[in-house]
Amino acid sequence: MLKYILKRFAWMVLTVWIIITLTFFLMHAIPGDPLDVADVGSSDAASANLAAYYNLDQPLAMQYVTYLKNVVTFDFGPSMTSRSRTVNDMIESGFPASLQLGLATLFFSVISGVVLGVFAALKHNKMIDYLTMILAVIGISIPNFIQSMLFINYIAVNVEFFPIARWGTYRHVILPAIALASGPMAIIARLTRSNMLEVLTQDYIKTAKAKGLSTMKIVVKHALRNALLPVVTIMGALTAAVLTGSFVVERIFSIPGIGQYFVNSISNRDYPMIMATTVIYSTILVVMMFIVDILYGLIDPRIKLHSKED
Amino acid sequence: MKKLNTKLLFTGALAASMLAAGCGGNENASGNNEGNDAETGNNQEASSDGDKILIFNNSEEPTSLDPPIGNDEYSYSILNNVMEGLTRLEKDEPVPEPAMAEEWDVSDDGLVYTFYLRDDAYWSNGEPVTAEDFEYSFKRLADPETASPAAHHAYWIAGAEAFNEGEGSEDDMMVEALDEKTLEVTLENPVDFFESIVAMPQLFPVHKETVEENEDWANSPDTFVGNGPFVVSEWENDEYLFVTKNEDYWDADTVNLDGIEYVMVEDSNTAYQLYQNDEVHITDIPSEMAGELIDGPETAVYPRSGIEFQRFNVEEEPFHNRNIRAAFAKAINAQEIVDYITQENQPVMTGYIFDDFAHPAGGTYREHAGDLHEFDPDEAQQLLEQGMEEEGYDTLPEVTLSYNTDDTHHTVAQAVQEMLQQNLGVEVTLENQEWAVFLDAQRDLELQYSRSSFLGGYNDPMNYLDNFTTGNPMNRTGWSNEEYDQLVSEALSEPDPETRFELMAEAERVFVEDYAIVPLYYYNSTFLEKPEVTDVVRHPVGFVEFKWADLE
Repeated sequence: MLKYILKRFAWMVLTVWIIITLTFFLMHAIPGDPLDVADVGSSDAASANLAAYYNLDQPLAMQYVTYLKNVVTFDFGPSMTSRSRTVNDMIESGFPASLQLGLATLFFSVISGVVLGVFAALKHNKMIDYLTMILAVIGISIPNFIQSMLFINYIAVNVEFFPIARWGTYRHVILPAIALASGPMAIIARLTRSNMLEVLTQDYIKTAKAKGLSTMKIVVKHALRNALLPVVTIMGALTAAVLTGSFVVERIFSIPGIGQYFVNSISNRDYPMIMATTVIYSTILVVMMFIVDILYGLIDPRIKLHSKED
Repeated sequence: MKKLNTKLLFTGALAASMLAAGCGGNENASGNNEGNDAETGNNQEASSDGDKILIFNNSEEPTSLDPPIGNDEYSYSILNNVMEGLTRLEKDEPVPEPAMAEEWDVSDDGLVYTFYLRDDAYWSNGEPVTAEDFEYSFKRLADPETASPAAHHAYWIAGAEAFNEGEGSEDDMMVEALDEKTLEVTLENPVDFFESIVAMPQLFPVHKETVEENEDWANSPDTFVGNGPFVVSEWENDEYLFVTKNEDYWDADTVNLDGIEYVMVEDSNTAYQLYQNDEVHITDIPSEMAGELIDGPETAVYPRSGIEFQRFNVEEEPFHNRNIRAAFAKAINAQEIVDYITQENQPVMTGYIFDDFAHPAGGTYREHAGDLHEFDPDEAQQLLEQGMEEEGYDTLPEVTLSYNTDDTHHTVAQAVQEMLQQNLGVEVTLENQEWAVFLDAQRDLELQYSRSSFLGGYNDPMNYLDNFTTGNPMNRTGWSNEEYDQLVSEALSEPDPETRFELMAEAERVFVEDYAIVPLYYYNSTFLEKPEVTDVVRHPVGFVEFKWADLE
């Protein structure tokens, strides 16, 4: 097991390295001057001084080495758009908001997705099944920014309990979390439903029924565990996605998270921020994938983590 | 046994993660909740005491509150109210009035300015504002080490440009503290508008000791030292920045507000909802609602020194020909663009320089300079024929109009395409590019015919004329004209204001008649302002002023 983990860890490092290398050269290949995207009419001398400040006057290979050093020490230096603040400062101040929103989203989408999926499967081809699936289709097909705007324009404006936007209390979390969660919830509900349907026809479920166990017990103890495997699969990517914030939903609800940096850093050609967001997202993603692989083995002992030679 | 263990482990892990998710979220949220309640509690308490707190949507986090670094509207709309330069633009007119400087002398040749600082000028840390602070700050703006994108605003001072280019030294930059309260500045040219240049945030002073001790001084309310009508008291990045009245400000009696909350709500529709719900006093008008709201009772419209125009690349066919350029310019009806697309009542350009600059002989610049350009489809048709004959064209070479990706720019480009088709019978291809790519291409003269904009920085026509001198980074047309360059440089060294304005008007005439650009319209700043807000000052140049603002 330890050997397996070490091996996986080495692969993870390699993956992240490939991603940041590709990103580094790609971002330098995009046309656009990161130092004057605001077009403030800087003089040539001022632009040259600024380039020197950010080491952009050095050869690309040198800049690459500096970047790798920064990544290893997790110090990305000053941002090119907000020069007084370092990228680390900006991430640190924005991450808690994105994390809170992400956890709420995850919690909401998993719980409601699984519950809806199970009910739909148990009441297969009945009203509740159809209703659930209609809800799922709506959740998948209405983009979260439309939901966000609808929530603000129709719910928040009329219901005193929900603030229109901004951040600070648990009440600020609810609407954006629902908007973000409805898509994943729908996917989870559909996955759970189809897997439950399959599992419920298995012999061991029949055995359980024959033994006279209650439906509740059968579902929770025997069926759900096997039906959840595919859900766990998508949890890796889903967690990485929701924890790193959402550009659109955070913007619409004016939430001070890090979602904005994933998009704005690229349009601003803010090289240090692009690198930081890339490293953060790819690291969370590979770590989540790794956790998911471990979980497979725990949920279903038939899945072996290591081959026989190991 | 082993199986049981894994089972336990799994259930435990699941439970733990659920708990972490649930409680973690709640805990954090309620942690914040307390903080926020306490704070809103304060605000409410404050307002029940009759405190006047204005809530202003700043849209975005300031880039930096360090004067030479920030250099944008998001930073300077704050900085302008927590700091102060040698002068400040008056409440009613964009004319400099004494601020940190109580008075000043100008030498007969117009080159040497001596500023006398007021005795009751203090930093927010209690120390007096000194001439040495100003000397340090002006030199810091030009210092290549500071790498300020706004360094060119120091170039008026003799020796600053060379210092910034890394050729001269700090000592050769001609700004000197004669004593604690006297500052002497020697200029490169006798520009009489230098007294409004020193009102600009780029030339705000910084507290020398603070800046030398801590280079991150401007990042936190605990270390920020200002000298303006308000002081920074709270700052949550990307959420809000709170400033309170500075009781030690020399003109504190004039300041009516007890504080301003700058909120950072980027999405203009969300901001509009907050405004409707009385959670914000001032915000932008969402662009898609401009037509509907522009004449509304809560809409405030301020003229803004800035222009929307189009650049020709005069090095490329067919725009190397003046008459063809003129034909395009005269075939485009800017009034229709303003009436039907932008819908913010922007004034149409009849020249190049912003109309409302004050003329030394009284009245506005435009009243003296006269109208130089108008929409005239018949003349456009003639000019096109004439130009095509001169170039021996049977058909016009292909023309592509480029613009940066944006809904409004797209609609304007389509309208222009239609107008050129109708009035000249010319087919123009449209092309859009992402902003930074577009900007790069325009700077490298890769675009044939492109959308352009310019926001004025200081209070003089020279701000505009400077852009199209040969080789200026803002030129981006390949246009170069000796007579024009000559007139601009004469205007710069002319000490007599009226003669200077005549020279500038002449330069503008040369420029507009040669049609390196298509003039479209001047900008407006439009806002929604609650009726209880009064006396927020916005001049055509400079940034929002809350010094005189009040809530009734």
